[in-house]
Amino acid sequence: MPGHRTKGFCASAAALALCAMLAGCGGSGESAGGGKTVLRYTWWGNPDRAERTEKAIALFEQRHPNIRVQTSFSGYDAYKQKLATQAAGGDAPDVMQLDYRQIDQYASGGVLLDLGRQQRVLRTAGIDPGLLATGRVRGAQYAVPQGRGTETVVYDVQAWRSSGVPLPGRGWTWDQWADAMRALARKTGKPGGTDPGQSEDAFEVWLRGQGKALYTKDRGLGFTAADLTRWWTFTDRLRREGAVSPAEQTTQLDGSVENTPLGRGKAASDANWDAPASGYGALVKSGVALAPMPSGADGTPGQYFKPSMFLGIGAHTGHPGQAAQLIDFLVNDPDAAKILGATRGIPVNETIRKETGPRLTGFDKTVAGFQASLEGSLKDPPQAPPSGDNALQTTFQRDYDQVSYERMSPRKAAANYVTEAKAELRS
Amino acid sequence: MTTTGIPAPTARRSSATARRRPKHERQGAAWVFLSPWVLGATVLTLLPMAVSLYLSFTDYDLFNPPHWVGLRNYAQMFTEDPRYWRSVLTTLTYVVIAVPLQLALALAVALALKGMKRGKAFYRSAFYAPSLLGASMSVALVWRAVFNDGGTVDHLLGTGGWVNEPGWSLLAVALLTVWQFGAPVVIFLAGLQQIPAELYEAAAVDGVGKWRQFVSVTVPMLSPVLFFNLVLQTIQAFQVFTPAFAISAGKGGPADSTLVYTLYLYDRGFVASHMGYASAMAWVLLIVIGAVTAVLFRTSRTWVFYASEGER
Repeated sequence: MPGHRTKGFCASAAALALCAMLAGCGGSGESAGGGKTVLRYTWWGNPDRAERTEKAIALFEQRHPNIRVQTSFSGYDAYKQKLATQAAGGDAPDVMQLDYRQIDQYASGGVLLDLGRQQRVLRTAGIDPGLLATGRVRGAQYAVPQGRGTETVVYDVQAWRSSGVPLPGRGWTWDQWADAMRALARKTGKPGGTDPGQSEDAFEVWLRGQGKALYTKDRGLGFTAADLTRWWTFTDRLRREGAVSPAEQTTQLDGSVENTPLGRGKAASDANWDAPASGYGALVKSGVALAPMPSGADGTPGQYFKPSMFLGIGAHTGHPGQAAQLIDFLVNDPDAAKILGATRGIPVNETIRKETGPRLTGFDKTVAGFQASLEGSLKDPPQAPPSGDNALQTTFQRDYDQVSYERMSPRKAAANYVTEAKAELRS
Repeated sequence: MTTTGIPAPTARRSSATARRRPKHERQGAAWVFLSPWVLGATVLTLLPMAVSLYLSFTDYDLFNPPHWVGLRNYAQMFTEDPRYWRSVLTTLTYVVIAVPLQLALALAVALALKGMKRGKAFYRSAFYAPSLLGASMSVALVWRAVFNDGGTVDHLLGTGGWVNEPGWSLLAVALLTVWQFGAPVVIFLAGLQQIPAELYEAAAVDGVGKWRQFVSVTVPMLSPVLFFNLVLQTIQAFQVFTPAFAISAGKGGPADSTLVYTLYLYDRGFVASHMGYASAMAWVLLIVIGAVTAVLFRTSRTWVFYASEGER
């Protein structure tokens, strides 16, 4: 019967189209293994890190002929968004690089596997307990730190020296830092450094120097609007005096060293993380050196050793054992460490750190030396920031924009920030 | 099927099916050919829209299952979120700057091209090229470099970097859109060529000057095309995203001066993981664009002139 045939044809055509679409959506990754276990490993970074990572992965595959690792990487912001969407769709990669600020959200959202169950393969004994604890959420180890970083004042050695201002040294306070910024501005005619008012990281160091913290143990806000008002009044005054960068320059900060005032030749120093600071080498021809972050008035250090990156396993992975093997290899294997160097910060495994330390060259060596000089003098890192912090970092910067462009008083902007932060942490 | 029964009824029935069958078959064929579209529209548009409407009443954060919160997102948006209103104001300012500027420029270029005797094709493609390129991220980044401090505009005009000045940054965003005026130019050009030459000849015989010709002949005859461009560009302007995103490096700065509606929506959804809130924002935008378009259509009755009206 012709009618039936048409209907049948219709249905099968529709089914065919649907199948094609579903196949198009779901067929990625799993199919190309050739009988091997295929692990997806994603991370953020730059081409240099990519090259070293690929080499390390090749070695891993050579040692485990039954495992094939598919890697993909992108810049941090793009990575963060892509991973969030993948995780939401239940399609998180088997092994993923994570930031301190993502761990709480991912762990409580059920995206990460409890690594405690993989102890047989994944050794953590070589990692400093304080650092290891930063990957723990509600008692369970969801991520393993891969590298160690800390904040630093990077400075143009020649500019600083020729200005006659005493070089920054251990134990200097925020007041001494401010005086140095003013003196540099007077002598060089340029701001002494980046306005730190926009940086939640710098604020945290300042806060910790007074024995306070960004967040309380129970994930609330660890400071008051009055604290933030004092910080922003302090930085805003320096900006008005021309001691730190003007708003037009500060607003161009986007996480890359190229867009910092120091990188653009418009200031003599910058507060930054030590790992990316290597980028200044190419930008500041006369050379840069690292100084510790200023401490509180009574000498309390605010900076801390922060796990620079973590590795975690997707909760829905089909191969938890192999994924754990890969993490163990990346964190604990001496040969992998040789290849990776300090591309993700100074290695966390104590043995490897001691072994690779003398072999480091160039800026990796500078960073290692800087970290060694701080060893034993810093306080423990805070616990992983609560979920809402991811958005608050941007809010912090935006609210300070209102201050530096003189559209809002420090007090008003601080009140705004605290209101939003409380709402963000509640939700 | 054909062997049983009395010949007469069979003949009657078969003639009846013969009349009906082609229509039936045509319908079947139509559905077969339509199925990719129907499937696409359902799976890729209608379903996501329904889900987004549902999510706008929840606190979905990408990681945890959504909870129904009723109108809370909408209430929060209208009463507790100063940044939301700033983004609304920024977008309205942007629409008011960009749309008239773009249409005026497009019309001027179209008029110039119409009168051109030689090289018309070359200039037409030259003016259209930015529309093809402009939507790309790389051009937006070049734009940012041009308007940055130390950039070309800074050197030529000594104005400092526009993109770092809250008072100028939105104009830099608008100029990037205005620069992509190729599509309205092409449509204007087509409209201009539809205007009968006799009208101009008659006007010239009456001793009417160029400007008066433009006001009394060109504008009324072109008004349907003008209206079409106005509606299209307004709808697009409300949804501006790429230039603002690129010029402010995704932050809507400096000091929230380029925080247009869609950029804030993106920020809430993908940076702050408040998908429910972002969905609610998207629905408000849809309703507002619908309302604005309706108002434009309503006012069009008073100023849009259709040549066929005279014949009716």
